[in-house]
Amino acid sequence: MNRKLNALVVGTLVLSITACLFAGCGKKGRETDTAADTTAANTATADTAAATGVEEEAGKPFRAEEAFSVSMLFNDMPNYPLKDTWTVFDEIRKKTNVKLELTVVPSSDYEQKRSLLISTGDAPLIIPKTYPGSEVQFIPSGAILAVSDYVNLMPNYQKKVKDWNLQSDLKQIMQADGKYYVLPGLHEKPKYDYSLLVRKDILDKEGLEAPASWDEVYDVLKALKAKYPDIYPFSDRWKTDAITNVAAPTFGVSAGWGAGNGLRYDSGSDKFLFYPITEDYKNFLAYWNRLVKEGLMDPESFTQSDDQAKQKFINGKSFMISSNTQETLDIQNTMEKNLGKGKFELFHMPTPAGPKGNVVYSSRLENGIMISSKAKKDPHFEDIIRFVDWLWYSDEGQELTKWGVEGITFKKDSSGKRTLMPDITFNGMNPTGTKDLRKDFGYGSGVFVYGGSQELKMSMMNDLEISLQNSMADKEILPQAPPILFNEEQREQFNMKDTPLMDYVKAQTLKFMLGTEPLSNWDKFVAECKAKGADAIVDQANQIYVKTKDKLK
Amino acid sequence: MIKVSKSYRVFQVFNVIIMVSVVVLTFYPFLYLVAQSFSDESFVYAGKVTFYPKGFTTETYKEVMGEKFFWIGYKNTVVYTVVATAISLFMTTIFAYALSKKRLKGRTFLLGFTVFTMFFNGGIIPNYLIVRTLGMRNTIWAMVIPGAISTWNLMIMKTFFESMPAELEEAASVDGLSTYGILAKIVLPLSKPIMATMALFYAVGNWNSWFGAFLYLDDKELFPVTLYLRNIIAGAQQTDAASGMDTDKSTQIAATIKSASMVLTALPILCVYPFVQKYFVTGVMLGSVKS
Repeated sequence: MNRKLNALVVGTLVLSITACLFAGCGKKGRETDTAADTTAANTATADTAAATGVEEEAGKPFRAEEAFSVSMLFNDMPNYPLKDTWTVFDEIRKKTNVKLELTVVPSSDYEQKRSLLISTGDAPLIIPKTYPGSEVQFIPSGAILAVSDYVNLMPNYQKKVKDWNLQSDLKQIMQADGKYYVLPGLHEKPKYDYSLLVRKDILDKEGLEAPASWDEVYDVLKALKAKYPDIYPFSDRWKTDAITNVAAPTFGVSAGWGAGNGLRYDSGSDKFLFYPITEDYKNFLAYWNRLVKEGLMDPESFTQSDDQAKQKFINGKSFMISSNTQETLDIQNTMEKNLGKGKFELFHMPTPAGPKGNVVYSSRLENGIMISSKAKKDPHFEDIIRFVDWLWYSDEGQELTKWGVEGITFKKDSSGKRTLMPDITFNGMNPTGTKDLRKDFGYGSGVFVYGGSQELKMSMMNDLEISLQNSMADKEILPQAPPILFNEEQREQFNMKDTPLMDYVKAQTLKFMLGTEPLSNWDKFVAECKAKGADAIVDQANQIYVKTKDKLK
Repeated sequence: MIKVSKSYRVFQVFNVIIMVSVVVLTFYPFLYLVAQSFSDESFVYAGKVTFYPKGFTTETYKEVMGEKFFWIGYKNTVVYTVVATAISLFMTTIFAYALSKKRLKGRTFLLGFTVFTMFFNGGIIPNYLIVRTLGMRNTIWAMVIPGAISTWNLMIMKTFFESMPAELEEAASVDGLSTYGILAKIVLPLSKPIMATMALFYAVGNWNSWFGAFLYLDDKELFPVTLYLRNIIAGAQQTDAASGMDTDKSTQIAATIKSASMVLTALPILCVYPFVQKYFVTGVMLGSVKS
């Protein structure tokens, strides 16, 4: 080959490869909003929004004057994957003149991809399915909008906050600068879901009543063990995190999924304390230890897989398990296939009362929406905010995303009761239908359906869910703790001490419950917690709380 | 007949026992998977399925194969694997061949540079930034180019090429072949085992990869079937926040659907493997011996 040509070809290749080495060096960072920007942009907060105009604008349909499209992150759940037969996006576009451009993310790794996209500045403008608390990591970089600054553009959202008295609940998501960064799903009333599932037919057979308190749970289990000594009457799933989370508030503490950072608010003294070292927590641990010691609770509950626990219950090797309403229906269906209908009866109990009373802890805020800071640069910015308000918070928008289109997917009778069209099935309604509301049409999906009025929520509940809500209606709802408004530096300091401390608490909790560590070593445990900084974090938390209390007014 | 000593016999017996146990341990999970995929769902939940299907049904397979995105994913996986393997094979071969020649200028630097990347990696975000800046995001190139050269395979190939007798190439060049000619006409035909091995390594790696797709692809039409599979297996398992009020906690994907999907995804590799097995065994050893 011609030497010159050869050299030219090789030289070009070398240059282009070297150039690629520098591809990664680009413009430094993305547009980061400084504090000055956000305050300058729009100063109205929810509290000072002009009252006039709020009432009349809520409930009005939204239609953009000029058609535009906005990008949105879409969580693709495998049980109802995104399909081209879905009509939900077309219907939204018909009503609002807004096209949603989806970035599809498999739900198995939704959080990771979301973090990646936000960190690299590629995030879509609307980021739904964000649990309050998970937006905190994105605040310091300025990648997400302080949405509380813009709620004056959201009449439907504001109306729901006002009607359902959610102002104090919203304080839960407030940050150190007095703003909040996620638009939470709003519930008129808390939804109850996790509780104990018990074999009612076995209880009836042994002449036992369904327990209403944790002491009664102990009695029932003891009676069952006497009659069935070869099995553990209670074998739990979710590594007991679900049931301890439900039980803990009735003992005055937190545990399981709700263990959190170890702080608990005492309204009497208006202070935070570290609950794992309190007497209440010792009693709580003693209760579970007693269940395990006397052979009433399967020690494998703390470690076995959900499938193993479910199998034991389905095969009659246990009579009590924790469950949520969907899982209960699932178990019911499986047992009907295995044992036959009528051969058994299940009861999804209201959560038992405890030493602190017939109380329950539940938040009325659920997962919601973040808006990327880049949205501010979009010429349709205000319309985007109004669109989000309509789609997720107006009655009309919520009905559309939950039920679909009247006349096509559902019909309404004169009293306002909604029923699905005969061929469409969902959540146990119209079991013979060939089309599924969610799988085939895309309505009722977890990307749009958050919260809502009690009426709307119950309209789609099956009998089991409805009876559970009703049976728990007279429980006393514990008040929410006020938030501690950490700034970024304080939060980092706090976490540095708190994370290893809570790891120790969780490990010891397991040991105490199982009995591998006797409760007589309680004082050692308390001392060790203090050595690991329990007092220090309580002091820090209280200091910050006292200093920032005024912001919460 | 050679007389075999007693101790050897004992060794044989133990050897066979251990090997059979290993076979059973590795084979049983797969057998269980296949049994699950052909069973009725309720038997699986009740834990009654062990070695063979109970309540034999092909419904699950029909359901899985009726999913449009399963086939789109499958097609994507095949395309990505073929293209990626071809590109990888090409690039690894020419790089390895060049590195194997001691007369290459800057050889030490290039070698060191390559080995360095075996230990240090930029991380997820820098890689993502490069892919995005080069405009590869959300295209097939994001699946095929970033992982094109595996340094491990590269080193094996380099060692192999070094082991080829230099006299052969000298004789060829005396006869008038250019560098490229030597590569094409002499070296490559003799490298069939190593090429087959590398092709297999790359193909299996690409077939199984889902992380790259997850990072760089946004459109569902471009997802490979492994990402689809991951979503089925891991996606419906999420436990939500403490107050668990998600309306999304619907019925989990049936274990039978998961197993049927897994079997279908692993099937092609399983079918191809026995045929390339001999290359695999000889090829791995080839790269390790310097003559």
